[in-house]
Amino acid sequence: MKSMSSDPQAPAGAGAEAGLGTDRPRREALNERRVWHVYARRKYDEPLHEIGNVVADDVELARVYARSIYDEFSWIEMVLVPRDCIVTVIAP
Amino acid sequence: MTGTAAARIDNAALFAVLASLADNKQAMGRRYAYWANGAPALEAAVAAAAMTQDEIGHARTLYPLLEDFAQAATDPRQVAPETRTLRYHLAFLDREFAGWSDFVATNFLLDGALTTFFEAAQHSAYEPLRQRARKIVQEEQVHRAHAEGWVRRLARAGGAVRQALVSSLQRLWEETLCWFGPDDDPVMGQLYRDGFIDAPPAELRSRYLQHVIPLLEGLAIEMPARFDPESKRWLPKQALPWERWEADSRRLRPASYQAPGQALAGGEDQP
Repeated sequence: MKSMSSDPQAPAGAGAEAGLGTDRPRREALNERRVWHVYARRKYDEPLHEIGNVVADDVELARVYARSIYDEFSWIEMVLVPRDCIVTVIAP
Repeated sequence: MTGTAAARIDNAALFAVLASLADNKQAMGRRYAYWANGAPALEAAVAAAAMTQDEIGHARTLYPLLEDFAQAATDPRQVAPETRTLRYHLAFLDREFAGWSDFVATNFLLDGALTTFFEAAQHSAYEPLRQRARKIVQEEQVHRAHAEGWVRRLARAGGAVRQALVSSLQRLWEETLCWFGPDDDPVMGQLYRDGFIDAPPAELRSRYLQHVIPLLEGLAIEMPARFDPESKRWLPKQALPWERWEADSRRLRPASYQAPGQALAGGEDQP
């Protein structure tokens, strides 16, 4: 099995390398920034509650990630809320 | 189904395609597994692990079907992944993935092609295939979202990342299109005539292109396909390399393959 590589094209341990035609390392070029809060519930009579978060710039990938990471229960509902859409009413 | 000798199905075409589907799913699962902790992000790694389980799971629902065929009697070892020595997966899967872009290309192109077949088998006259096809098509929706999401990400990253994706897509392109078989493929043709799938190979290939080309076009990735305005179908832009097609294993001989004795005969096109 490979260890976690910072370069999406390189075998394990190769590390980041400069992309052709760009100064940005490949890992940086792929770095995702958008955080999605994951809410789910197991029963109809319970409210949605936050079970974690995923990071993905692409909403479809965020769906895939949430489904595969938080698969510990047979949820009846799971939704994603982008962190940058949350309106703070009372700050901690 | 246990497949007693008396009840065995005698259909070489269906047996061959089921073996190819199972082998490709099994090989994809093994290649995916290698990247379950090597993906560029933790979330992608977890998804890769889940997809590994799915693909190997699909293979494990397909291999037992082979036992029900008369064709299995000649060599019973060939119906179980543990004892099978024939490997009818695409030649692209013979080697380890060179990078994450190979994972993405395999998921997008090859798995997408197999899903096109399963979509065509959802009303199959062969009930075990019909049942499995419906479940696989359902599970593959997540794989397709993963594939399309990663194709978009790698393409938009630009530079070497985009270049690697295009290279992976190009290396897998022809062999994937060939998997459906030539337009007059007797194997897929018989499956269509017997009601096991709802389209002949040319139509399957066209449906498949309709799935993959719009996304690639939207990302300005040019692949050799053209839209025929008369038939309103997507078609390969150039002739596929059928001279390298191995009908039994439904795969292409590598371009560098040298037939036994060819070197001794002094082929003109050898460097």
